[in-house]
Amino acid sequence: MSVKKDSSWEPVILAFCCNWCTYTGADTAGLNRMKYPENVRVIRVPCSSRVNPQFILRAFQKGADGVLVCGCHPGDCHYATGNYYTRRRFMLMQRLLEYNGIDPKRFQAKWISGSEAAKFRDTVIKVSAEIKALGPNTKFAEGYYAQNEGGNE
Amino acid sequence: MGNLTKEQIQDRIREEAKKALATGEVSCVVGWTKTRFPDKTKPFFAYTDAECDLLVWNEYCINSTAKYALDDRYPEQKIGLITRGCDSRALNRMLKDNQLKRENLYIIGVVCDGKENPVCDGCQHKNPLTYDVLIGEPVEETINEKRFTEVEAFEKLSADEKYEYWAKQYDKCIHCYACRNACPACNCVECYADQYRVGWQGKAADREQNQVYGLTRVFHVGDRCIECGECERVCPMHLPIMRQTKKMLKDINDLFGNYECGLPDDSKPVLGEYKLEDPDEFM
Amino acid sequence: MYLAKKDLEKALQTLSQKAVVFAPILETIEDKVSDAKTVEKKFMPYFDGAEVALEGFNTVKPPKDVLFPNVEKMYKYKTGAGAYIMELLPEDSQKIIFGIRPCDMRSIDSMDKVFLTKDYVDSYYAKRRENVTIVAFGCLEPSRTCFCDSMGLDPNQAPTADLMMNVAADSEFTICNDCGTKVLTDDGKYILTPQTEKGKALLEQLKELLSDGGESYQDTKCSLHIVKAENLDEKLSKMFEHPIWEKVTKGCIGCGTCTFVCPTCYCFDIDNENHGAEGCKYRCWDSCMFSDYTRMAGGANPRPTKKERLRNRYLHKLEFFNERYGETLCVGCGRCIESCPAHLDISDFIEKASLVEIDASDYSEANYSEGRM
Repeated sequence: MSVKKDSSWEPVILAFCCNWCTYTGADTAGLNRMKYPENVRVIRVPCSSRVNPQFILRAFQKGADGVLVCGCHPGDCHYATGNYYTRRRFMLMQRLLEYNGIDPKRFQAKWISGSEAAKFRDTVIKVSAEIKALGPNTKFAEGYYAQNEGGNE
Repeated sequence: MGNLTKEQIQDRIREEAKKALATGEVSCVVGWTKTRFPDKTKPFFAYTDAECDLLVWNEYCINSTAKYALDDRYPEQKIGLITRGCDSRALNRMLKDNQLKRENLYIIGVVCDGKENPVCDGCQHKNPLTYDVLIGEPVEETINEKRFTEVEAFEKLSADEKYEYWAKQYDKCIHCYACRNACPACNCVECYADQYRVGWQGKAADREQNQVYGLTRVFHVGDRCIECGECERVCPMHLPIMRQTKKMLKDINDLFGNYECGLPDDSKPVLGEYKLEDPDEFM
Repeated sequence: MYLAKKDLEKALQTLSQKAVVFAPILETIEDKVSDAKTVEKKFMPYFDGAEVALEGFNTVKPPKDVLFPNVEKMYKYKTGAGAYIMELLPEDSQKIIFGIRPCDMRSIDSMDKVFLTKDYVDSYYAKRRENVTIVAFGCLEPSRTCFCDSMGLDPNQAPTADLMMNVAADSEFTICNDCGTKVLTDDGKYILTPQTEKGKALLEQLKELLSDGGESYQDTKCSLHIVKAENLDEKLSKMFEHPIWEKVTKGCIGCGTCTFVCPTCYCFDIDNENHGAEGCKYRCWDSCMFSDYTRMAGGANPRPTKKERLRNRYLHKLEFFNERYGETLCVGCGRCIESCPAHLDISDFIEKASLVEIDASDYSEANYSEGRM
């Protein structure tokens, strides 16, 4: 497994953000001119429980170095119960991925509400630094993206 | 195996199958019959008394009969099934998933004595859990102390070792979907993998597609797995599929309390329900 | 000509200098948490130190993927700025399939017919085929599911191979501890008989390792002998709607195992893989046991259940291929019998169908198709 030695390498992090909390939180962070690493790509989803475990597998295959799933705090779900399912699902998913050789830091979940712009910023900074320390992800990555320096199409 | 010999059980199976057909409510009885090889039996559908006499019971009756109930989801008559402990859990699985109706089944339970199948060593339910008629005296149920030892040992390997191991295993996979077709928890009317034009699952049998298929299937059935071991038995390339599903079950046991599937209770699959007091790692 | 067993490794090394040599090699996957390591015998490129197992039972998967890979990229393309289409033909490298069994050799003959005759030449297959030299190995010990001689083959001879290898009659054997089958002792000898120019060229490369010797080889018989009607294909053409199909297909679970371990199944599907504006078209093995094999746009499926699908597979092997190419597509390797999860047995079907008594055209499709829809 070759780790790219290039010092200019920046990780690609995919963040699935719940429309009602985290996406608003990210918006607020922007409005408040908070600075956070630009290697996070936000994907808006109606609810954190919309995120299918396959999304995460496919993200790693298509060149993501890390995946973040963010949703409302338990009890605050716009659909009342969605994030309770998310909680069970991704606690298991994280362990299953670890069992298959993926560092649990590469796949994380966090509850971030609409008013927690600072928490969003801090989470992204922390995750980005952690993944930078781990280096590029080569596990599960498809040959195409491994050859083409990954994910920046 | 209590009071009956293999031959006696076989006779009782034939007898019960004939009785069931005689009621006129049961169209056929699914069991096993001989093949040309002494150490192989094959699933067999008995429609007549003469065919009932071809049913056999020996240590090579390893195929699950339960999944054949799904061949006809809306039968005009009941389907009779010779059912061991694992088959009864498989039926419970499909009943709970609302894929079958109990009134469409006639279940001839047989207390199992373990078959020539490695998974039988860890069997916790040799007695059928659901049946209309039972053959043999129920035996005392055992607890498998080693249920998760292999998983625990595997967890201790380094991340690269784990990845390497699974990648090599998935390289072998030929995409035949035997694990899916044999699995009682894989009871979707149409599998996501058959909808490949949608783009979920590529059709090429290369490492990446096999990894996606393997892990998706594990995650989809992991919380509903009855540990019958059919996936591993049918795999022509001998992938250790149970090692993945057992990992899911182990985590479920650790995180959400004692959990076993296929029992005739009204519990829901772990990922289909939640509790407010579940542990939370995402704060 | 003789080749001593102890020189086999040297022979493979010599051949590897000029070509990629695919040989039956035991591949071990270590399992660090249990003693049960998995050993699989498969055709793979020879490398120094490889554990070559010419003798023993045949491989689980046939070597057809050397000529007809599981996944084969056909062309790649890009849209938008700098758009292009580029065909991706197989590389021009020489390959040797070493130690193929007569049944698998016969299956390559069938694939040749499919991909190279009847006015259509598949350029990908043709390119690979012309660069492949085949060394066949007469079986030493058949497995219990081998019935190739009932299908008209000889387990000792592969007449279309470039070079034929047999075990010399005076060789001695031991029983392999791992697999329980007969293997040659190191003093054992193989007889090499060239059958084409390519085969002679191979012998030329190996000449320093060869010694002159007799011709008599170990004669092996198949272990499974089945009854097969002479005119089975004609008979089956009248049995399309025969009740036998309902019976033999009941146990099938609808997986694709039989088609993927079959040396003669050649169906493929073409799909593409897109990455933004770039992508490639590839073809990959398909299986007639899957529902999407015949599913049409809009969802209609002329083969809705496993009965129709398995019937198609059996009829293709035993009837349709005969009609088009004049030979049976089942070569009797027995792989599907050994691998089938539901323990279905094509040899059993051949026997049953051979014994069926039918009146002329009683169950033919035409008789039934009227008013069927």
